[in-house]
Amino acid sequence: MTRAALNRVLLVEDDLDIQSVAQLALEAVGGFVVEICSSGSEALDTAPEFCPDLVILDVMMPGMNGPGTLRALRELPDMVETPVIFMTAKAQRHEVEHYLELGALGVITKPFDPMTLSATINSIWSQHYAA
Amino acid sequence: MPPDTTYSVQDQLDELRQAYIAGLSARVDQLTSVWNTLSPEAWDTSALETMLQLIHKLAGSGATFGFTSLSNTAHTIERYLLDIQERNAPLTSEEYTQISALMEVVRMVAKDPTQHASTLAWKPYLTLNQHLSGAHSRLVYLVEDDLLLARELALELEQSGYTVRTFAHPRELEQVVHDAPPAVIVMDIMFAEDRLAGITGIAQIRQFREVTIPVLFISARNDLPARLHAVRVGGVAYFTKPIDVPRLIEQLDQLTVSPRPEPYRVLIVDDDQVLAEYYALILQQRDMVAKIITDPLHVMVGLVDFQPDLILMDLYMPDWNGLELAAVIRQQQTFVGIPIVFLSTETNLDKQLAAIKLGGDDFLTKPIQPERLIASVVARVQRSRTLQSYMMRDGLTGLLNHTTMKELLSTEVARAQRQATPLTLAMLDIDNFKQVNDTLGHTAGDWVLKRLARLLQQRLRATDIIGRYGGDEFAVILPNTDALVARQIFEEICQDFAHIQQPDDSTTIPITCSCGIAAFSDDHDSNSLNEAADSALYGAKRAGRNRVVPAGAQEQSMPT
Repeated sequence: MTRAALNRVLLVEDDLDIQSVAQLALEAVGGFVVEICSSGSEALDTAPEFCPDLVILDVMMPGMNGPGTLRALRELPDMVETPVIFMTAKAQRHEVEHYLELGALGVITKPFDPMTLSATINSIWSQHYAA
Repeated sequence: MPPDTTYSVQDQLDELRQAYIAGLSARVDQLTSVWNTLSPEAWDTSALETMLQLIHKLAGSGATFGFTSLSNTAHTIERYLLDIQERNAPLTSEEYTQISALMEVVRMVAKDPTQHASTLAWKPYLTLNQHLSGAHSRLVYLVEDDLLLARELALELEQSGYTVRTFAHPRELEQVVHDAPPAVIVMDIMFAEDRLAGITGIAQIRQFREVTIPVLFISARNDLPARLHAVRVGGVAYFTKPIDVPRLIEQLDQLTVSPRPEPYRVLIVDDDQVLAEYYALILQQRDMVAKIITDPLHVMVGLVDFQPDLILMDLYMPDWNGLELAAVIRQQQTFVGIPIVFLSTETNLDKQLAAIKLGGDDFLTKPIQPERLIASVVARVQRSRTLQSYMMRDGLTGLLNHTTMKELLSTEVARAQRQATPLTLAMLDIDNFKQVNDTLGHTAGDWVLKRLARLLQQRLRATDIIGRYGGDEFAVILPNTDALVARQIFEEICQDFAHIQQPDDSTTIPITCSCGIAAFSDDHDSNSLNEAADSALYGAKRAGRNRVVPAGAQEQSMPT
């Protein structure tokens, strides 16, 4: 299949400090168009109108957690196939496998390096579409 | 990406980090107040849930902003809390004690965050510089508006092996210091608009940098206020003009050559993994390196591999107790001097004394107070390092002595063998040293020895082991280095040595050195490796001196 362009990124993360670092990393360094939500339920409202190419989901959030948000997103007609990357601290190998089984393109571990976050995302993206 | 984008991103990241630091104590206060509502007696699932969320955030964000150990501590608390949540039963009193102690560590960091910041994940320039530390440890920024003086001084420093960048005004320094921090700043004090501009400039730089770069002040002013101002902004030396250049260089050498003290290494022997991790965390907060061994039978391997400065040992462990273990460690010559600090719930003074008699240096009673643990460890490591350095070093050059080199060579050979990593041994000596001594005198001879020692220290990595075997013979152990790389390094060193300034301007004796190198392979032990390097050195001499010859290639020696 032809490689889809990655331009619009929806970030779902509850920690405001990490939000701001990630926003900087994705916008200023990566050049993406970024929308940020602080919770899973906010993401469900925002996603259909923002039409992201990619959703980055924090795994552990109060209320609806990352995997829960992914399930709910998949119920939305426009979001059935939108690629998702999970973001989590200190993921064990079996946990990573579990997230991949849920249908994520990849898992990014926290803390991330803001200078290379976008490059990491791009490489996960292109690996996926090269396959 | 436009070239200056990274800079502004860097600035923005720094701002975010400052904001995070500013908010950190409020975060921790909030965390503390939730924690205070929990205890073995007071069971509250919603408070536990809040606590979990807060601690999870702290674990996630701490490392993002450079507080790795804060993150680790928070993560440990999180693991405890998750267990408790899953079990859905009140805290045990042991859990309560442990979490309280960990919370104490968190508060300690929050009180003075910059003290505890580790290397930031996002400072690519700094990281790059760390990789280039060999090159940058000789980088000097010279700020002087008298351009003629600046040029002369720069020239002299460059001849002594420094890389010098000159600036005409302190304000030019601000951005550069941030992007490529030098090893030392040499700063003039008086500038056209302000008789203390140099000092103000340094004060400004200090505001934004946690890592302090040593500053030497040079000035035409010799009044007490100027000197006091210089001390106040952390000036390490003060030179009045006209500058005594050799003394300035000596000072620079002291600041740059003598490596930053290695972090203290502590081996923790405790069968309780969680407790051991807790001690490790406390020590890591103070930039120490800790290794945990939970099975007493692995202690000897830990000692040899990890080369600790101190052993922190639980007194009562299943099967083998700490006293027996200490006695065994003390029976081995290499470890006679290593400090051992016992940890125990034992409060019986007689038993404590018995522990000390068997080779313990100190006795700490559990539960351990973080500050008490740190104080005990630091004091003992400091003293033992001082003693060690007297025993291990050669008085003239400050390099390791023959005995120490021999010991370290067998350790390194064993390590290379076990880990299947390369290792190279180099032997050097000064060509016609007897003639140097006879013609120029012993003072000049000593000067030459010291010069080679200094060159080796400047050129080699902190992980390389440099020693003086005796007389004019030197040896260098290069872990993780193959013969090819070693040969390049020593060829440069020999070339540089041949070009150094002579001890006495009138002499015409060429001062050079020869070098033999031998790489470790499976058919070597430390003795045969030593012999191989020695005979390669002999080969270099025979082939005409002032050259590097690898073992087994004496015939195809090449001139440098």
